[in-house]
Amino acid sequence: MTAAAPGGYFGRALVVDVTDGSSRTLPLPEQVLRDFLGGAGLGVWLMNELAPVGGDPLDPAAPLAFVFSPLVGTPLTTSAKFAVVAKSPLTGLLTDALASSHFAIAGKLTGHDAIVLHGRAASPSALLVDGDGPRLVDATPEWGSSAADTEASLRGRLGGGWRVAAIGPAGERLVRYATVSHDGRHAGRGGLGAVLGAKNIKAVAVHAHTKVASADPAGVLAAAKDLRARSFGPATRKYRELGTLANLLAFNAISTLPTRNFQAATFEGAQALAAEDLAEMRSVTKNSCASCSIGCEHIYASRRGGVRVEYENVFALGPLCGVSDPDDVLAASALCDELGLDTISAGGTIAWAMECAERGLLDAPWLRFGDGAALSRALAEIGSRTGLGDLLAEGSRRAAARTGPAAERLALHVKGMELPGYEPRTMHATALGFAVNARGADHNRSGAYEADLSGELDRTDGGHAHVLAAVRTEDRAAVMDSMILCKFLRGVFTDPFEEWASLLSLVTGWDVDGAELAETARRIVMAKRAFNLREGWTPEDDWLPSRLLDTPLELGSGRSASLTAERLRAMIDEYYEVRGLDRHGRPRVGPAPAEPVGAGLKEASA
Amino acid sequence: MGAEAGLVLAGGRSSRMGTAKAGLEWHGSTLLRRVTLVVGRAVGGPVAVVRAPGQELPDLDPSVIVLDDPAEGLGPLQGLAVGLRSASEWAETAFVCSTDLPFLHVAFVRAVMARFGNQDSADADGPDVVLPVVHGFQQPMAAGYRTDLYPRVERLVAEGRLRPAFLFDEVRVARIQEADLLADPTLAGGDPGLDSVLNVNAPQDYQDARARPAPDIVVERFGVLASGGERGPRRVRAATLAEAARAVGLALDRHVVAAVNGDQIGRDGHLPLVSGDTVSFISADAGG
Repeated sequence: MTAAAPGGYFGRALVVDVTDGSSRTLPLPEQVLRDFLGGAGLGVWLMNELAPVGGDPLDPAAPLAFVFSPLVGTPLTTSAKFAVVAKSPLTGLLTDALASSHFAIAGKLTGHDAIVLHGRAASPSALLVDGDGPRLVDATPEWGSSAADTEASLRGRLGGGWRVAAIGPAGERLVRYATVSHDGRHAGRGGLGAVLGAKNIKAVAVHAHTKVASADPAGVLAAAKDLRARSFGPATRKYRELGTLANLLAFNAISTLPTRNFQAATFEGAQALAAEDLAEMRSVTKNSCASCSIGCEHIYASRRGGVRVEYENVFALGPLCGVSDPDDVLAASALCDELGLDTISAGGTIAWAMECAERGLLDAPWLRFGDGAALSRALAEIGSRTGLGDLLAEGSRRAAARTGPAAERLALHVKGMELPGYEPRTMHATALGFAVNARGADHNRSGAYEADLSGELDRTDGGHAHVLAAVRTEDRAAVMDSMILCKFLRGVFTDPFEEWASLLSLVTGWDVDGAELAETARRIVMAKRAFNLREGWTPEDDWLPSRLLDTPLELGSGRSASLTAERLRAMIDEYYEVRGLDRHGRPRVGPAPAEPVGAGLKEASA
Repeated sequence: MGAEAGLVLAGGRSSRMGTAKAGLEWHGSTLLRRVTLVVGRAVGGPVAVVRAPGQELPDLDPSVIVLDDPAEGLGPLQGLAVGLRSASEWAETAFVCSTDLPFLHVAFVRAVMARFGNQDSADADGPDVVLPVVHGFQQPMAAGYRTDLYPRVERLVAEGRLRPAFLFDEVRVARIQEADLLADPTLAGGDPGLDSVLNVNAPQDYQDARARPAPDIVVERFGVLASGGERGPRRVRAATLAEAARAVGLALDRHVVAAVNGDQIGRDGHLPLVSGDTVSFISADAGG
């Protein structure tokens, strides 16, 4: 640790040109760390600093950053997380995806707050980082393998002390929603695996060689004990007992389970996919990420072996594609893991294709809603970019643009990113969060679903309260994703910003308070917007697919739920106002879109 | 403008009851609160209560608008005029009822209001009044009215013509018979005897009504709320959300919310339930 770095930090990033393995150290001034914390926040700062303006995300010059956080390495529960950040090949805008476990700890203890890659290796390679500095090794033996097999192979070659994040075949073939994976967990959204694949980098392996100190180790330990105790309370019970799949039947009951490409919000086959039933019918193993006391992971037996099951992968490969056979859904999920595919975008793109095929817009008579075999075939073709898969590997927006205007109307995405499993017509705060979020349709960077499901506002009458909820949850996510703490902990905090500030103070020694963290949140949100602005974002990108705005849903009550364009416009306009943006969604004290790298960030964060 | 409003006329002397009917206890709530919330579940817009001068009302849901009737003793047309005039600012049509309808069913209100046409925009050539004819009587205090009728109603009041029948002589009235109402399967299932229009006027009426079993409800618990063998639908008797929660051993604390028939999510224990409702209890921590 450099003498100047605050507790929990090294004050530097390692920047590696994988073309030749050369590297440099990028100093991270304390003010930058304090302003952007780590994880997603520091990641967007790095992108604003390092990414060429308007560059192709799959170009060798495009940077990709593994970003750690000040809490990594502390005993604070759920803190062993890292962010992978780059310009997304799916959206052309910023993407930041989080994953967990030992890679975060080992990666940080290489002595860096971030590891940034750019360039392109001449042949399939793995980047190794430890106390001896970065170096490339041949990964030809692993090329074509799944991320899990690659991880096992490299650890076999290098030794068990190495921790590996890898891509699967989909990343190698530049599927625009390929993942980066570690220990079965995925930095899933936005195609980060393709960015690594474009660099001929199969994996990044890290090995700890140093330590990092907290400013107040005894205080951190006491806080960790307290947080751990609270993590066993009712706010996390769902995650512990059933995992996020517990959402599925509940969402079906309240008409917010997107089905058959968002043609319905309830699914007649939901019961067969419910956590409550699956848990009884199949052997289930529970697991935790490193440094986590919640233990949300539920691994179900399937014909392809054990499958980590979450609500989102079951939603996207089940109801969204009309598939109700749990064997089919679990097999498809396992296949996504093997190929290294984001399940939400894979399911969303295939659901789009299924509807197009049924309507005669795509020549794929084998592809129909509800057909589990067709689902598996489509995934395999995407992973190999063969047959129809070469089109679907581009994601629904690009695939629809190539197919025609009628097909474009059926593509359910925001900014090119396929929607997760929350029906915007019955969740208006969520709808706004999806529309305005920098990453595109996303429930992890917005979190506005909390408000819609809280019972404290009318979820189908979006207005002022929904706007404030969307802002509040987006701010919270910005801090949690940057410190980093798992969002499954969110319910245990009664005064989140103050409590997080207290944790951060113990680790860093800063006299940070909740008000400062709230400002930090806004700064990070604005920095993401500033990055997108310079990369070509337009106001039209903050919008929802037309199906959601012109087709009401019939609820079980007999009432219809709708989200009109006028209502969405009004919520977006108010969101801009609350955020201090101009009426076109641009920072008021911000740059013109074509201004140089970093300028937008500095002004937006001023 | 939202197309539908609800108006509950709370005035009236309650002379036979001997006490204000609005405040009568009803399954842990009050009669007026129940009626306003039942109407609120059925109509798209706000619900307003019209009260007599100086009338004290029991606690109401914060969403309910209270309108003051400046005159007393002029009968229902006076309250109707006050209510329609205000409601005309936010709705084209209104379901109008009295406060003493303990068995008013959500589906009854919907069945009446459906006769105006589209929920979001009433048919301009349609009826001015939708008047149920149930149990052999016209039911003007459980009926639908166009809000732009208020000038006519005000004129009738000014002329001293205080019976609703005078209004019905002047406007387009769509009378719906029992068979037509019961063609709605939800209403036929939830209120086959059309007890929606039964009012309580005397203490014995109230006692008899109170002695009836609470509505027949289906309750489902989801996620961790269903652990310990509590999965699947279960039938219970409950007049409010709080009673339904109690019936299945839940408390509406910050970790528990409920949706009725897959619609709004809430934890208001006063929320009235009607026969045929399905209540889904879900974790307030859902999502993620």
